[in-house]
Amino acid sequence: MRKIWAIAWKDLRSTARNAPGLAMMLVAPLALAGLLGFAFGGGDSFEIAATKVAVTNEDSRPAAPPGEEAPPLAGDTFADILTSEGLEDVLEVTEVKGAAAARARVDDGDAAVAVIVPRDFTAALYGAAGASTSVELYVDPTQEFGRAITESVVRQALLDFNGARAAAAAAAAVAGGDAGHDDAAQAAAAAFVRGGGVSEALVVTATAPRVGGDEGEGATTIGLVLAGMMVFFMFFGASNVARTIITEDQDGTLPRMMTTPTSAGVILGGKFASVFLTVAAQLVILLVGGAVLFGIGWGRLDVVAVLAVATAAVASGLALMIMGVVKTPGQAGAIGAGVYLVLALLGGNFTGTATSAGTYATIQGFTPNGPLLRGWDAAMRGGDLADVASHLLVPLAFAAVFFVVAVWTFRRRYA
Amino acid sequence: MSIVEAQGLSKQYDPPKGVLAVDGVSFAIERGEIFSLLGPNGAGKSTTISMLSCLLRPTDGDAFVDGHSIVGDPQAVKQVIGVVPQDIAVYPDMTARENLLFWGRMYGLAGAELKTRVDEVLELISLVDRQKDRVDKFSGGMKRRVNIGVALLHKPRILYLDEPTVGIDPQSRRSILDGILDLREQGMTVLYTTHYMAEAQELSDRIGIVDHGKLIALGTHAELVRIVGEEARVELTVDKGLEQMVARWSALGGVSRAVVEEEHAELLVEDANAVLPHLFEEAAAGGSRITSVNVSEPNLELVFLHLTGRALRD
Repeated sequence: MRKIWAIAWKDLRSTARNAPGLAMMLVAPLALAGLLGFAFGGGDSFEIAATKVAVTNEDSRPAAPPGEEAPPLAGDTFADILTSEGLEDVLEVTEVKGAAAARARVDDGDAAVAVIVPRDFTAALYGAAGASTSVELYVDPTQEFGRAITESVVRQALLDFNGARAAAAAAAAVAGGDAGHDDAAQAAAAAFVRGGGVSEALVVTATAPRVGGDEGEGATTIGLVLAGMMVFFMFFGASNVARTIITEDQDGTLPRMMTTPTSAGVILGGKFASVFLTVAAQLVILLVGGAVLFGIGWGRLDVVAVLAVATAAVASGLALMIMGVVKTPGQAGAIGAGVYLVLALLGGNFTGTATSAGTYATIQGFTPNGPLLRGWDAAMRGGDLADVASHLLVPLAFAAVFFVVAVWTFRRRYA
Repeated sequence: MSIVEAQGLSKQYDPPKGVLAVDGVSFAIERGEIFSLLGPNGAGKSTTISMLSCLLRPTDGDAFVDGHSIVGDPQAVKQVIGVVPQDIAVYPDMTARENLLFWGRMYGLAGAELKTRVDEVLELISLVDRQKDRVDKFSGGMKRRVNIGVALLHKPRILYLDEPTVGIDPQSRRSILDGILDLREQGMTVLYTTHYMAEAQELSDRIGIVDHGKLIALGTHAELVRIVGEEARVELTVDKGLEQMVARWSALGGVSRAVVEEEHAELLVEDANAVLPHLFEEAAAGGSRITSVNVSEPNLELVFLHLTGRALRD
């Protein structure tokens, strides 16, 4: 253990003296997150996939007057509109049972918006003048663009229902009055105006998940952007330190270490410790920087700590594995950058994870970084350990595999 | 009892078709002696020392260091050896003291023992005054001394030095050679590799000459020189027709070997005084003029020339 710490301490000191490396590890992610957050955080967001929407239709048939047939369920028609072919490019709708289930999908990051059709939807539509109900949109506050699209579609659909209701009311007024046929249109218009225009029997209300008692606190676009940048640059930070394996091999200090009574496992353990501690320190600094500079609320301390350990383990394991297969610092730089960039694109470091859909979402779930980002997303929305646990399985499995492969290649190279 | 016993050591890189760098080398090193492996670059010296350091696993054979097999018990071997690699292998961004402290920990030293040994080694390598300076600020000779000091921290029973004087100034070289002789005086066993004939001759109790991965001669300096008997080496340059002249000279009586080496000829002769006039006569007859003559008494270089037909060059 003393030797592991000696190796780690040596590398940490060397890293601390590397000013350009530190700048890339610490300044670049904050600067990029700031730029991207301010550029896209104001509502003009960017999306690469249809907004994921969970719809629950709780509409029920109102009692029909004696001798009359009950009206058809308007809620079914409304749900059909949301799932219509014309909207499938902008909305990816999943129908779920119950308002709680719909909200849970948003809470878990599986949907950007939950649309909850109320039990009295049909009753309000067919009811007497003044009857009203609301369709609830339960939205992830970080998914501003997705929310805007969904709300726009829902409002348009409700406007059509309300318009039809107003037209029917006007027609009824005309039919019950004394006006002749030629004056019917004029009378309908008058009735419409007397009725206050399109009476909004159906309205939209928007709600958001509660985060630590304060709705929406912390879960900002810039927070998600910084989480993506943070994980991405942690990969590079880990690579910078792990690269000392290659440089030490070339400089002769690693072979010399192998001539001392120090096993290959201890040497690799020391390297892993130095990489892990470096990226963990990088993470802490970025978390604090994000909180101070951008007011990001990262979530509960225990959840952040678990996520930090998992993120550092993934970054460390991946960096060591790459160093096990390359032979020169040049190869390490080129191959490492390529791998990290591909993972960032697949895992959603640049785009976020909540709005991804279909095959892309599936791929994200099987990258080492995608589930981590979902975990950070959940943490920022106030999730507890149970909420993020499911997001850690894949990354921790990746970390274990990376480390085993690194040990194997290292032993093979220096056996 | 020998401290090192190499038994048929072989190393082939990328077998079965790769380079056979060391081919069945066997030798023994006695306690307290300086044993040199002398040979040109690429002869297999560094590969041999890497195997004895447990850095490379032999493809065949074994060696025992202080009774421990390099194949079966490498960790025990590493406890008793100190290795000074050919290239400087210390951390340039750390001070001399920081380097020694780090490497001491790698050898398992700790606490007061580590501090004491670092102080002693700094004294030994004459860097007490510069111990807090970063190594990258040092001269080449000072770096070499730190490089050697690292291997002495744990008081090894045998010290391996792989060409430790390559690329340094004469003054630093002298300092290192004197330091090695001092270590021998203190009872340290030394395995030294070099391609400098003079260093091997000055330092060594016994010398093994290696070429193309094989140990081609082994013995004390006197024993090795005896291989070539009383022959002397004559080095000649001519104004033209060097290869033609070498052919003519090799046919002369008293010349046992004549070869072209770069821009001159090297001859092994039984009696230089008797042969020299004939060499001039033959040159004149061949239309060439001898422009310089250098006669050397029998030495290790002559032994190498005698055994391989090639000169041992720096």
